[in-house]
Amino acid sequence: MYGSLGSRSPVMVMFLLLCTSIAFSASAETTLHTNNWAVLVCTSRFWFNYRHMANTLSLYRTVKRLGIPDERIILMLADDMACNARNKYPAQVFNNENHRLNLYGDNVEVDYRGYEVTVENFFRVLTGRHETAVPRSKRLLSDEGSHILLYMTGHGGDEFLKFQDSEELQSHDLADAVKQMKEKRRFKELLIMVDTCQAATLFSQLHSPGVLAIGSSKKGENSYSHHLDSDVGVSVVDRFTYYTLAFFEKLNMYDNASLSSLFTSYNPNLLMSTAYYRTDLYQRNLEEVPVTNFFGSVMETIHTDYAYKILSKKTSEKVKIKMPSEEPVDHNERRSLQNSNVQDQTSDTKTEAQQCPFTSTWNSFNKKMEKIENIDSLVSYGLLIMLPLLLISTWLSR
Amino acid sequence: MAGTKVQSEVPKTRQRPIVRLGVLLISHSLLVSVLCCTAGVLALLLLPVLAKNTYISENALMPGSASSMLSNQEVSEANKLIKDITSLYSKPSTAAIESRRLIAQYMSNLGAEVNYHKFHPQPNEFHPLHFFSSPDAGMIQENFSCASYGVNTVGVIRAPRGDGKEAIVLMTPYNSVNGDLQEALPLGIAYSVFSLLTQVTWLAKDIIWLVADSQYGEYAAVAAWLRDYHTPVFSDLSSLNTELCHDSSYILDLKENSNLERKISYEFRRSGTMAAALVLKVAYRNEVEDTLSIFAEASNGQMPNLDLINIVNYLAVHRQGYRVKVEKVWSLLNSKWLKILGEIFESLGKFVKSLNPDWKFGIPVAEYIEGTATLASSLYYQAIGVPTGPHGAFRDYQVDAITLEISPRVSFNNKDRRNDFLLQGGRLIEGVIRSVNNLLEKFHQSFFLYLLTSPSKFVSVGVYMIAFALLVAPLPVVAASLYAETHNLIPTSEKEKSAADDELGSVIRSWKWLNSAKRVFIVHLWGAMVSLFPYFISQIPNCTPTTNFHVWFLLSVFSLVILKWILGSPFSQLCGLQPQEEWAILKSVTISSFFIGLCLMSVINFATAEIGALLMVPTSLMAHPLKLDVRGGRFLRFSRAICNLVLGVISFPPATFFILKGMFEGYSGINAGDFWNWVESLWAWNSATYLYIGMVHLPCWILCVHVLLHPC
Repeated sequence: MYGSLGSRSPVMVMFLLLCTSIAFSASAETTLHTNNWAVLVCTSRFWFNYRHMANTLSLYRTVKRLGIPDERIILMLADDMACNARNKYPAQVFNNENHRLNLYGDNVEVDYRGYEVTVENFFRVLTGRHETAVPRSKRLLSDEGSHILLYMTGHGGDEFLKFQDSEELQSHDLADAVKQMKEKRRFKELLIMVDTCQAATLFSQLHSPGVLAIGSSKKGENSYSHHLDSDVGVSVVDRFTYYTLAFFEKLNMYDNASLSSLFTSYNPNLLMSTAYYRTDLYQRNLEEVPVTNFFGSVMETIHTDYAYKILSKKTSEKVKIKMPSEEPVDHNERRSLQNSNVQDQTSDTKTEAQQCPFTSTWNSFNKKMEKIENIDSLVSYGLLIMLPLLLISTWLSR
Repeated sequence: MAGTKVQSEVPKTRQRPIVRLGVLLISHSLLVSVLCCTAGVLALLLLPVLAKNTYISENALMPGSASSMLSNQEVSEANKLIKDITSLYSKPSTAAIESRRLIAQYMSNLGAEVNYHKFHPQPNEFHPLHFFSSPDAGMIQENFSCASYGVNTVGVIRAPRGDGKEAIVLMTPYNSVNGDLQEALPLGIAYSVFSLLTQVTWLAKDIIWLVADSQYGEYAAVAAWLRDYHTPVFSDLSSLNTELCHDSSYILDLKENSNLERKISYEFRRSGTMAAALVLKVAYRNEVEDTLSIFAEASNGQMPNLDLINIVNYLAVHRQGYRVKVEKVWSLLNSKWLKILGEIFESLGKFVKSLNPDWKFGIPVAEYIEGTATLASSLYYQAIGVPTGPHGAFRDYQVDAITLEISPRVSFNNKDRRNDFLLQGGRLIEGVIRSVNNLLEKFHQSFFLYLLTSPSKFVSVGVYMIAFALLVAPLPVVAASLYAETHNLIPTSEKEKSAADDELGSVIRSWKWLNSAKRVFIVHLWGAMVSLFPYFISQIPNCTPTTNFHVWFLLSVFSLVILKWILGSPFSQLCGLQPQEEWAILKSVTISSFFIGLCLMSVINFATAEIGALLMVPTSLMAHPLKLDVRGGRFLRFSRAICNLVLGVISFPPATFFILKGMFEGYSGINAGDFWNWVESLWAWNSATYLYIGMVHLPCWILCVHVLLHPC
């Protein structure tokens, strides 16, 4: 008896997983891109790591220029180079020896500074598990329609990134955090950009769909600084970030440069390392995605006749279906039903070709279900479906 | 019967491997000691080949990453200072006070905090109880005369945005009494850097410029200032000084002089902990190129962190175009045997390279000879434990410091040339200060234990330990083998008697080494006495070093005879030891105690232990009664006796000293007083080498001689 139960349960679990994964992928694919966030992290301390802060501040300036507002940028700087006593130009940070651009101007909002930049706080920001006292400005309040840019720079190695000279962020930690974000529907698409030595190794554990990753160097390669400012006495910018910025300097908010044009712009000879990007988790074609989808705040707009149309439809449909929740299988079924309903109404705006055949049969099935007005008949239909399922599962478990 | 035999054999075969290895080594002690000693000497000679290139280990330093800011403006100001100071020399009576005032005024004009530091020089006295103790303020306040004192001038620049917890010290010794241009030039360089640093915004550490009054020696002035820096007195210091000596008339004179000079006080100005210290000197030595000599050895063979030498070397060579030198033993450069050895190593290196191009071994002959000469001097200066310059005083407070001595190519009389010289030197100092300023913690990344074979090559502790370990390894093996031999000797000789052996006899026999240990202990006690004698001898007034040395020698011999007479060994007769085994056991215990002494010394001052082992290990291993050797009449034994005699003479400390001195400096001007002077310098600087010679080396030598002359 127990044996049969035990052997049966994997099948049920598989079924359950199948349902939920379909539901998730469906929601991620179909939710609209509604907002943009950026998390910019400089992980290293000390004066000789001036360039890491300059990297981060330059990127901060760029994304702000391209349209992400300050309230949607979480800026983490592990040390304060601007006010370091060794800085020849007090309260100024430059990323070029020509000193034309002060990156540390009036309107820089640093959310996490100095010793606040820890692996723990970084994870709290990503996963949204803050203590109650943390103000909204220090939280990543993204949702399932968010595109997030996560930029990190510092000293890294094989599958780790050093934080503050005392702790490390490991690749599986990062993957775990991203997975949690995915499950909590904190993003629609995530671009991770890392400028460290052996940056590519940091992505090796990622499995969550919708994640795009690019690193400055492959495993076994170092990332180098671009040039030394002999006036300040330190290197001021890293090569990868320098050429990224050079790419963006040519752009404004209305340009349609694609992500692939950014990714292919890196010249390994100039970089002295090989930029590596990972696209297997990302569904869209890179040539069709403008860089401003991540680095700016440009998103698709949809013309609708009626401003509240979508919302009203959603509420009306949710009330409609009520299912008895005695059996666990039934419960799962109901969830998948609800999810697919939601997906159904949004799929109007999207093409149906993108959906897998399984979901499309579900959809047709649901449409039939909608036509059935009588609840009693719905229940009996449900039980009828259960019967063959039960039969199959017992047959399988034998 | 067979079964019991098997059983009794089983535990023997099941001995642990390490025990079996030990037994194997002990049974082949002769082979082991010959092999290890040759390998040890060979490893020492190989060190220049194994030396690695230095590299800057601390990321934060970033030497040379910032361009130099020192310009001709600062240099021309510095030139003005030099001119003003040299013009003072025409009136020697007031030159000391006036030059001091001048320097202070120049410092003050730059906006630095200035103060005078008055100190009383300490006489070089032997304090037997103050070995290894840190210098404290209490011990020196007792006996100084008010007539002789020196005055240091100290200027402090506060870092504009620093926390004031750290400082970098720039020190220039200046003899205000009989100064010349050469004395004033370091002041000029330091002043140009100092005036630049008052203007810059990037200082994170305070800068202290110490103009040390070197009329009583450079070291004494710095040591006094450091002592006062680290032991704050919580009362009015100036009133204390006037209380002690009522000769501060010119201080008052100074204070009343003008509004500006009121700022210059006798109140001690402090900053934070010192990150590094640079001592700057100028010498004129007819060099072909502009040369920078680095002196780094502090007391007891302590070295500053290698990173400090690295940044100076890097900036001097790659930025300012100096030729950097460290001390070397010049006479070794022309030695034939070293050249032959170098050629052997070079050809060996070529052979290795032909086997596998990736293996890098062997260096050119010239480089090998240079490396060996530098290594020898590095080893020697570390071994004697006397600092090679005023930087040694900083090391006593765990501050990394080196002395930089710049010797220019041409004379200073040419004005343009002097400007270039000041600019070059100033930029070097500025670069080093900026690099150290970037430092976030104390110097800790690089090595503290190393020997230099050139300014850019070093041998780290992990490598040079091997030579020492190989040299001392045979000592315990031979000691154990000698002990085991005498142990096995008894049953064979006394087999008939031991049938009815009582327990007492066996107990006494197993403790027979105690008698030898007692003798060794007495000799070591005598060694301690010998090292205390100079304290009493130095109290005798009006003595030349030669008479002192003779008195010391006679006293030592006399005390040894008395000790032998009082504590002579009636024990050995009581034990019933045969003379044959007696000397063997005595040698065994001597070697063990010497081994312990060497190992302890290698922790305190490695170089001393290395040289000591080189001299004394063969002597102690070879020691064998001459009577037995001569009586045998065979050639091998006879040659052993000759060897023993030669080694016995060489390893006697005064003999070693005179032989080495004669080899390197020629035998012409040697007298017995030189040894006394040398030893005096050892105890004056609290060198542990002195203790080693008195309490380890000399007793071991006496015991070896005792074995040699044993009446068998």
